[in-house]
Amino acid sequence: MAMSRDEIFQEVQEVLVDALGVEDDEVTTEATLMGDLGAESIDFLDIVFRLEKAFGIKIPREELFPAESLMNNPDFVSNGKLTEIGLAELRDKVPHTDFSTFENDPDINKLGDLFTVGAIINYVETKLAAA
Amino acid sequence: MRWIWIDKFVEFHSGKCAVAVKNVTLAEEHLHDHFPGFPVMPETLCIEAMAQTSGILVGEANRFEEKVILAKITKCVFFDYVKPGDTIKLDATIESITPEAASTSGKITCGEKLIAEIDLMFSHIDQNLAGKEFPEENFVFTDTFKSLLRGLSSGDGSSGTLESGAD
Amino acid sequence: MRFILIDKIVSLDPGKKIKTVKSVSLAEEYLADHFPTFPVLPGVLLLEGLIESASWLVRETENFAHSMILLEEARNVKYKSFLAPGAQIEYTVEAKIIEENISSFTGFGLSKGERIVEARFGLRHFNLADENSIMEATDARIIEDMKKRRELLR
Repeated sequence: MAMSRDEIFQEVQEVLVDALGVEDDEVTTEATLMGDLGAESIDFLDIVFRLEKAFGIKIPREELFPAESLMNNPDFVSNGKLTEIGLAELRDKVPHTDFSTFENDPDINKLGDLFTVGAIINYVETKLAAA
Repeated sequence: MRWIWIDKFVEFHSGKCAVAVKNVTLAEEHLHDHFPGFPVMPETLCIEAMAQTSGILVGEANRFEEKVILAKITKCVFFDYVKPGDTIKLDATIESITPEAASTSGKITCGEKLIAEIDLMFSHIDQNLAGKEFPEENFVFTDTFKSLLRGLSSGDGSSGTLESGAD
Repeated sequence: MRFILIDKIVSLDPGKKIKTVKSVSLAEEYLADHFPTFPVLPGVLLLEGLIESASWLVRETENFAHSMILLEEARNVKYKSFLAPGAQIEYTVEAKIIEENISSFTGFGLSKGERIVEARFGLRHFNLADENSIMEATDARIIEDMKKRRELLR
């Protein structure tokens, strides 16, 4: 299934518009799921269901949105920031995301900012290439 | 006013889809407020009827072990209204289901008329709402709800069929 | 049991915004079924509170021009927490557009600072006489009743 990045973006955009009730033009590559698009726990599940259907792939929720389990684990979080182990765990789980800014100030409240529409597109691209 | 918005199941395919019906009657008090002189079934109660149809379908898929509650109305659209004397048919289908949640699609019809299309998401709250406290027992699926499934006989294709899943 | 899901209009800015409140009481019969041992206001009745709030905004903005105001569509209605007897919820609904026969809104409900519900939805408004002129008297009756109900919400 050789989809171009643009085709993947169109499908992802449609999924996010349907799941989050936002307008097409709000779904830009840089838009953050939680901050800009207002996504929450229940929405993450909806997004996963729809992406699986749209692309015919299996998506363990942990792979796409690991933030929640990381935030609840005391080994990974200390004083409101991710520890070295936490950062390593995050890097491992989400290779499709760019951490450079986050690493400078790994405040867990900013974890949400990492999850952009672009990150989802990267993830889908990787999954489709591996399929 | 009871909080039961469907009257019976006429089809039930475990883990997949189900059909329920509800009669709308002037005996229902709320109709007299919505609206006085021209009673129509409130759209939100149509949504609840679909939520109960879909919710029981999702709950039964896990043998009623999970407390299944409505978490999100993803989308609903109404094309027409429902009046006393009407019987509405609710068709619900499970789109996806995991240990934490489920998503369903559905439509409500009255005879040939399409009344609404309603897509919902349910949460299995023990798996999903850490930090909030609930009673141990499954307060969602009471005997009243489970008894709605009792009228169905197994697999002979007559009106009211209950098809079991893997178990 | 009456089917009225708000108790008071707190503020109303025609064409723009409305705030209303609803108090939840164990006296509300459906709570016995929803749920036994864990009574909470059903999610669809939280949406009904938002719809009623928006309907009052429409009625005031169009000066009670239409008898029938019904939900046409709703999207992304999220239930974030529970509302139990003894609590009160304040609904805030803002209009995106209010035209002659359709309107759309965003709304949310807060209880003690906690978000309980949020939604995007659209209403349609019309008179029964639009389709059938013999229904004029019925339209008039509904509108009269709604004006009286408005007084109850002051």
